[in-house]
Amino acid sequence: MCSILVIDDEEAVRNAVKRRLERDGYEVDVAATQAEGLQAIEEHKPPYDVVVTDMVMESPTSGLEVLQAALTRDIFTELIVLTAYGNVANAVECMKRGAFDYVEKNIPGVDVFELLSIKVSQALERRKSSLSTLRRIEQYALRR
Amino acid sequence: MFNTSPGVDPTMFARITRLIVSNASIDEILRAILEESVRACGAVRGFLAIVDHDRGELDVRYTAGEGWSEEKRLGRLKVSEESGRGITSHVAATSKSYNSADVDQDPYYIRSFDDVRSELAVPLVDTNQRTRGVLNLESTQRAWFTDEHERLAAALADLGVTAMVLADHRAREAALVQIGKELNAFTDAGAILQKVLDVAAEALKFEDCSLFMIDKASGRLVLRASRGPLKKQIGHASYEVGVGLTGWTAQRKHAIRVTDPSADPRWRGLYEELPSADVGAFMAVPIIGRSGVIGVLRVQRKKSPYKWFPNDFTEDDERILTTIAGQLAVALDNVRLVDQLVKTERLAAWGEMSARSAHMIGNRVFAIKGDVNEMEHLLESGTVESTEARKLVESIKNGIFLLEEILNEFREFVMATQLDLVEADINQLVREAIEEGFPKRSATVLNLNLAPNLPKIKGDPKKLKRCFTELMENAVHFQPEGGEINVSTFLADARCKKWLKPGRQSGKYVAVRFEDKGPGIEIENKPKIFNPFFTSRAKGMGLGLSIVKGVVDAHDGAIYESGTPGKGAKFTVLLPAAGGRQRASSKPKE
Repeated sequence: MCSILVIDDEEAVRNAVKRRLERDGYEVDVAATQAEGLQAIEEHKPPYDVVVTDMVMESPTSGLEVLQAALTRDIFTELIVLTAYGNVANAVECMKRGAFDYVEKNIPGVDVFELLSIKVSQALERRKSSLSTLRRIEQYALRR
Repeated sequence: MFNTSPGVDPTMFARITRLIVSNASIDEILRAILEESVRACGAVRGFLAIVDHDRGELDVRYTAGEGWSEEKRLGRLKVSEESGRGITSHVAATSKSYNSADVDQDPYYIRSFDDVRSELAVPLVDTNQRTRGVLNLESTQRAWFTDEHERLAAALADLGVTAMVLADHRAREAALVQIGKELNAFTDAGAILQKVLDVAAEALKFEDCSLFMIDKASGRLVLRASRGPLKKQIGHASYEVGVGLTGWTAQRKHAIRVTDPSADPRWRGLYEELPSADVGAFMAVPIIGRSGVIGVLRVQRKKSPYKWFPNDFTEDDERILTTIAGQLAVALDNVRLVDQLVKTERLAAWGEMSARSAHMIGNRVFAIKGDVNEMEHLLESGTVESTEARKLVESIKNGIFLLEEILNEFREFVMATQLDLVEADINQLVREAIEEGFPKRSATVLNLNLAPNLPKIKGDPKKLKRCFTELMENAVHFQPEGGEINVSTFLADARCKKWLKPGRQSGKYVAVRFEDKGPGIEIENKPKIFNPFFTSRAKGMGLGLSIVKGVVDAHDGAIYESGTPGKGAKFTVLLPAAGGRQRASSKPKE
């Protein structure tokens, strides 16, 4: 089963995201702070497939630090950043450094939970294909 | 009586000097000088005429000896001034003594008493060589007054003028101190300007005074305050910098003193306190602030009806006006700085508040949307369990409640200054706040010490109660293990009142104090605790104490924290007593 970590300092946000993603059949853990999140990323076995994190927690760049930790643990972990509506600069910065995508929390008239569900499955697709590419390269290397 | 050398009473001068140094009133001193002169010179009567520089007239203010009536006193100089003659006017104009041995042969003499045969008049001349008055002595015998008499009278007149100059200095000193005090008490520029003119007019006799300030937008000198008929044109009358005597003063940053202003080439006569033809003297000084000339303070004086009469402004006058302009500049600079500070602080607070509230509201709405999404999912799947649905509805309701809490705090912050004032009993408010806000089953010990017979306050009971509840909740919050809260009310003493704005410290204030035994507030945090969003409590947006401060400030009160870090916080709220007077009440309320 795919494992996902949700990091957000608002309990209501964490729980709503966890509930929605569990409905899609994933195993979902939550962390309430950046520090808790970094620890979970380091300790969880196997590494999380996808990490969904709030951009702004202890600092305005919490998302970047989570990204760095996730990629250090597993280069193919996919990261989705949650950000405030109209405040995407930092989230875009995350994407430049390898995050999968960002989702704005409050887009008027859009059911962002459905959007998030789609993004998560797309992220998992990319991870799967990255991993299979890696496996093929490994097999090719072994054959020689 | 023989006309011999005057037998001068050696204690006479001592008596007068004693009067002068003992702070006697100028009236008392001048009257004594006149009486001593009449006696020492063996005159039948005498009077002391004082120059009124503002009206440009001589005024018989003190009389001594036989035959005076109010009518005679008032009529004494009228005749002489109108005819251009009269010994007193002559002496005032020339500043020289005049001894008329035989008044019947004297071209200047105008008869007022039938029995007068000779007259002696000596001027009172001050350090600016200006005649301040004339001492006049009359005798029923011809050639009565000798040189010796004249010298004696001149010496007494000198003492008189010394007393007058001293009195002037005292009045000016007092006026400057008063202006300094007034300036400190005001934070509103408009009020400062008019106050300065009022003090200048009343204490310094600069009656026709006006203040022009440079308008930032137009760069022109615009009338901002005035005492005379120009008052109607405040905000309208304006000079270009460089135009007229007023504009010249601003352009050259230089004081100006002119005796006959309408003859001056710079004169424009655009806006005058007096009709142009009536202006006898003009003085203007620049008001120089941090950023250069910010305005001009000017005074005009009416032309005397008598040609001989000098009523120009002196160097002393210029010095004092310059001092006032200097104080004014400092006060206005301060007002401007405070204004800027308040504006920047408020703007920063608003900016931060909108960012924070957007973030918090955004998160709440996001969570509510999550619940709605789940609800839709349940409905679509066709298997809605009522317990599950109810749980979601509860969660949505809770989310909406949190949103409303944020809105409420927002509203309280904005509405803090809009009060519904009634007379209220502070102890009653404190008791009600405790009733509503103090947790029923708390490990914290609450000690109440409410002073009886406190004066009523004028306040908004609802908002004040809310403030007290907030302060109490804070105290409880920071002592999770129990601890102790002391709530007391008392009449504010001088030590408390130094926290009030300078202009407010004289009134009567009631104090409410909340003391706890929690961790207290670190020294470096003390200046910040009343700022919006400075919070170590995760409740709402952290506007709590800033709202309390807003409410207390709107009551013209003060709030401060004076606890010791590590030992507990001590918040004191000061509120002005209603009517500023304590009601006598014989029965204690506690």
